[in-house]
Amino acid sequence: MFEIPRLKFEGVSKVFPGVRALSDVSFAIGAGEAHGLLGENGAGKSTLLRILSGVYRPTAGHIAIDGKPVAFANPVAARQAGIAMIHQELQQVARLSVAQNMFLGQPLTRSGIFVASREQERRAAEALAAIDPNIDPAVPIGTLKVAQRQIVEIARALLNRAKVVAMDEPTSSLTPAEFERLAEVIAGLARDGVAVVYVSHKLDEVFGICRRATIMRDGVVVDSVDLADLPEKAVVAMMVGRELAQEKHRSHKSGDVRLTARSLSSATKVRDVSFDLHRGELLGIAGLVGSGRTELLRLLAGADRLSSGAIEIDGRSVRLSSPRDAIAAGIGLVPEERKREGIVPLRSIISNMALSSMKVFAPRVLIDNRRLRRVAAEKMQRVNLRPFLLDRPIRLFSGGNQQKAIIGRWLAAGTRILLFDEPTRGIDVGAKAEIYHLIEELAAEGHSVIVVSSELPEVIRLADRVLVMREGTVAAELEGTDLNEHAIAAHAIPQSKRQPGQADAGRASA
Amino acid sequence: MSDISQAITGRPGAAFVSRFSMRDAGTLIGLVVILGFFGALVPGFFAERNLINILQQSSINACLALGMTLVIISGGIDLSVGPTAALSAVISASMLMAGAPIPLAIAAGLAIGLAGGLVNGILVAHVGLQPFIVTLGTLSTYRALALIYTGGNPVLGLPADFRAVFNGSLLGLPLSVVIVAMVALVAWIILKKTPFGEYLLAVGGNEEAAYIAGVPIARTKIAAYMISGLLAALAAQILIGRLGAAEPILGNLWELDAIAAAAIGGASLMGGKGSVIGTILGAVVLGSMRNGLTLMNVQSFYQLLATGLIILAAMLIDRVTRGRG
Repeated sequence: MFEIPRLKFEGVSKVFPGVRALSDVSFAIGAGEAHGLLGENGAGKSTLLRILSGVYRPTAGHIAIDGKPVAFANPVAARQAGIAMIHQELQQVARLSVAQNMFLGQPLTRSGIFVASREQERRAAEALAAIDPNIDPAVPIGTLKVAQRQIVEIARALLNRAKVVAMDEPTSSLTPAEFERLAEVIAGLARDGVAVVYVSHKLDEVFGICRRATIMRDGVVVDSVDLADLPEKAVVAMMVGRELAQEKHRSHKSGDVRLTARSLSSATKVRDVSFDLHRGELLGIAGLVGSGRTELLRLLAGADRLSSGAIEIDGRSVRLSSPRDAIAAGIGLVPEERKREGIVPLRSIISNMALSSMKVFAPRVLIDNRRLRRVAAEKMQRVNLRPFLLDRPIRLFSGGNQQKAIIGRWLAAGTRILLFDEPTRGIDVGAKAEIYHLIEELAAEGHSVIVVSSELPEVIRLADRVLVMREGTVAAELEGTDLNEHAIAAHAIPQSKRQPGQADAGRASA
Repeated sequence: MSDISQAITGRPGAAFVSRFSMRDAGTLIGLVVILGFFGALVPGFFAERNLINILQQSSINACLALGMTLVIISGGIDLSVGPTAALSAVISASMLMAGAPIPLAIAAGLAIGLAGGLVNGILVAHVGLQPFIVTLGTLSTYRALALIYTGGNPVLGLPADFRAVFNGSLLGLPLSVVIVAMVALVAWIILKKTPFGEYLLAVGGNEEAAYIAGVPIARTKIAAYMISGLLAALAAQILIGRLGAAEPILGNLWELDAIAAAAIGGASLMGGKGSVIGTILGAVVLGSMRNGLTLMNVQSFYQLLATGLIILAAMLIDRVTRGRG
């Protein structure tokens, strides 16, 4: 019996300048099927979703819906063809109502001029009733919890009679109970004949929700498999391309304490965080999004003010009232949002690198250009910048190379304590390994390093020791054999949201 | 290896290219076209006397536009330059009339410019108000102060000694042109060779990133507004030296010409981009166009039209040739 698949990728390739993001991707999803899309960061999942949702056009190949080839000129065309995207970062306007958001860009009107608000709310309520009748379509969407906002997105897909619903890491900020609810909703969608593409790197979720899955690595499809027949381990092996023989971690931690955090609290997220950071140590910080990890780094980098607590460096108390103070104390932040907080896009690699060490390069009034170029060449060679064009605007470099330039900035400034916030976010696989090696080498040279990451394998691979943050505090400190994904996950989930009976194991090692 | 040594010394000619960018070349071509146009239509346009005239007529706008360029690069705007100049002018002038020594009167006028810029800078950088609104407010405030101070009357009959300071010439060029050329040189050095220049470009290019990188954001912005105020005051001194009188309504709409010169020269109102050479060329573009049209006896209404069109044309060419960059 041969059925025409609801959604089919046929030989889809996508080439960006200098990067082949997708190569000859082919697989099919039937009507009423929830299909997992698995792969590490940089495997090409997001690129594939962007092609599906009309953001990118494929370099070669095409998508077929119900057997008919389609080509989307833009996201609106994709939506009209029945494709609904539910992004990881929800794209909603917080101040508008639930109903207004559901009709965003395609409002119901009376006589083509006035927005028919009542009618919009009635239809929104109808669509919501099927999945979560508790959501009031008239309230501003910003007042809802993330899980509810996701439900609204799904209701919006129903409203548009979507044939395909694609979800990109929908659960990264959901509690287990909220996840259960989402799983039910997805099952409902499948019953209605919708094809669901479910992207996640959390395997247990994919196994729970999907019958089949396609595994991608380095821009190609490794295989499409029936999950029922396959152990998790085999899927992981396909994702990473090898049996997960943990790369041997070598610690360079020495006895001396370089930085001490004493009961750090901020006005917003961080509450009473204390730890020591040693010379040559690689300290990982794990926790859910919103657990205060980024805020903690910003406190250490002088970007936000402490409301109480103290920071000591080499035994001496320091006051960090701006990033300038922190830099003078030898601390540098490599921020998560590189475009927003890391680079000055129009300026060259050299200028971006030199920004934090102007005192060195301009001892009196003028910048010593020769010295600047010499140091820049040395540092950029050290971080292996490619292409090696120091005068080229940084915006023309790949994410990985921008990241290298920012690391070079701190090397040039003589920074001894490096803070990395999601160091490999948005960086392709090859560069990712380079960044890991670079971070490890920096520690080996005696730098003290803190790495915040949502990718548990990343933290576990890099760190000597991991602090797990939960609701602004350190919930656990894990080291050695205690340091594994399950332990981290167990501590990261807030108590109030846990299933009863879940033990607080591992706390003892803190 | 060749990679590295090249990176250190720079590519052959790279230094020149970086000093004189493609964008500046574009402005220069625009200027040449305009000069050629008027040269062909207006007899005597290329006479030495007229070319010097153009430079002199452009010098005051160029002076303001240099300060404006630095402010625009930092991501701001300074609408208050005209009234700042007026306040500086009437204070210097009344001091002169009261018999104050010339250097003191000039210094006081320049200090007024710095103070006006300081107020703008503090309101923008420390209070966090939007530059457009802040300088719109001080535009009225400073103008009002100048009018109140003088009771609305011009200060007439400035001493000849004072006028001589700005009306001399050097190497055949009017002193005002020489002064502004020197200001341009200093501005160019500031932008290209000092940490402050890098900071300006970084603050305007991405303030959040500059902050994390340890750039002193507030100090950088305040300095930019103070330089803008100082140069407005300098322009005022040059003007009252030339006229021999200071009016409280002096400098009306100066800010618009200054912004136009900076924009024609490649400064982006989004911040992070701008060129001293480009701004000077932009000021000369506007100056030669006005000069040429006046010599052609074109009505002032049409001069305004031409100014508007040249700004729009420059921006269009910018967009078409550089995409969204």
